[in-house]
Amino acid sequence: MEIKGSVALVTGGGNGIGEAVVKHLAKAGAKVAVVDMVQKNIDRVIKDIKAMGGEAVGIQANVTSEADTARYIKGTLEAFGQLNIAVSCAGIIRDGTMLSLDKETGKVSKKLGLDKWQAVIDTNLTGTFLTMRDAAEAMVNGGWPGLLVPISSVNKVGQVGQINYSSAKVADALMPKIIVGEFLMRGIRNIRCVAIAPGYTATPMLTGMNQDALKAILEDVHLGRLVAPEEIASLISYCVENEALNATTIEITGGLCYPRGIAK
Amino acid sequence: MPSLLYNDMQFSVEPSGDRWDISYKLPSGASALAAAGLFPGLSEADAAVRALALVKTIFPVGIKSVGPDVTHPNRIGDLKIVGPDVTHPNFIYWDKDSVSSPKTL
Repeated sequence: MEIKGSVALVTGGGNGIGEAVVKHLAKAGAKVAVVDMVQKNIDRVIKDIKAMGGEAVGIQANVTSEADTARYIKGTLEAFGQLNIAVSCAGIIRDGTMLSLDKETGKVSKKLGLDKWQAVIDTNLTGTFLTMRDAAEAMVNGGWPGLLVPISSVNKVGQVGQINYSSAKVADALMPKIIVGEFLMRGIRNIRCVAIAPGYTATPMLTGMNQDALKAILEDVHLGRLVAPEEIASLISYCVENEALNATTIEITGGLCYPRGIAK
Repeated sequence: MPSLLYNDMQFSVEPSGDRWDISYKLPSGASALAAAGLFPGLSEADAAVRALALVKTIFPVGIKSVGPDVTHPNRIGDLKIVGPDVTHPNFIYWDKDSVSSPKTL
């Protein structure tokens, strides 16, 4: 599928990986719908795309809401008349171990709150499902070729302190197999699904963290640096153009390893 | 350059080559772009109609009904003051101009 002339919708498009994806696709000639929770981030990205000579619409929305999802799909169609690419970058973290123990008594002093579990599942899993589902609905009903891109994470393998995040991201990584299998079953041949599982990426969240902790993380990355959001955007563009990529999850980590060199 | 008033927000539909940009005025008085490069080849009148429909979709208006929350600081008596929450099931999308709201709720 050609990027030029296609229409892309990116949730979480107001910063981080989502912003890079939006700008990369717009630069390559796609029309883009920027969906984000924060209006001022949307405004900034739309202004940047306008300066690039691109075409864009911004839609403030919450991806966990079914009504909002229907609204940003509708807004995209009203602006551009079709939809071809949907990328679900919207995501959050609420880290914590499932149990914390009191050092003196050895008894449980704290449990991971349901609020921390539910917020991450709602955004990272339910939000991705709603976007993929409604984008696919629009593509099928419109008869347009398409690519669905759930964003997983290398932490789908299971990261301590992230039972909520890892659980959501491993489920996101499964989506391409299931979605494409169902498409095949239903005779839908022109819509593909490829998930992307980034490693540690140079988003504001990570570059702003404790620098010693960041240095420790990078010791396990063969590349020796964080993955740039633009490198992930470039991979997604490649997925759009290469129709043989389908029903799979691609990791882009710079070579994230366990300390003794076993590939993660 | 058509100007639209919707939900007390001021929008402008401005030409950009053979396309149209939609901008809106922020509370600070500054201007922000809601969309860029839309509706290629449409006339000003047609672009204004399409822009108004789009604006109503991307800037929903609604009413949220909530009960009193004694722990919340922003209260007037039993009335809790909160911003709109578009995820709430009681949220009602309002697609009419603000001047045409019903006389009674």
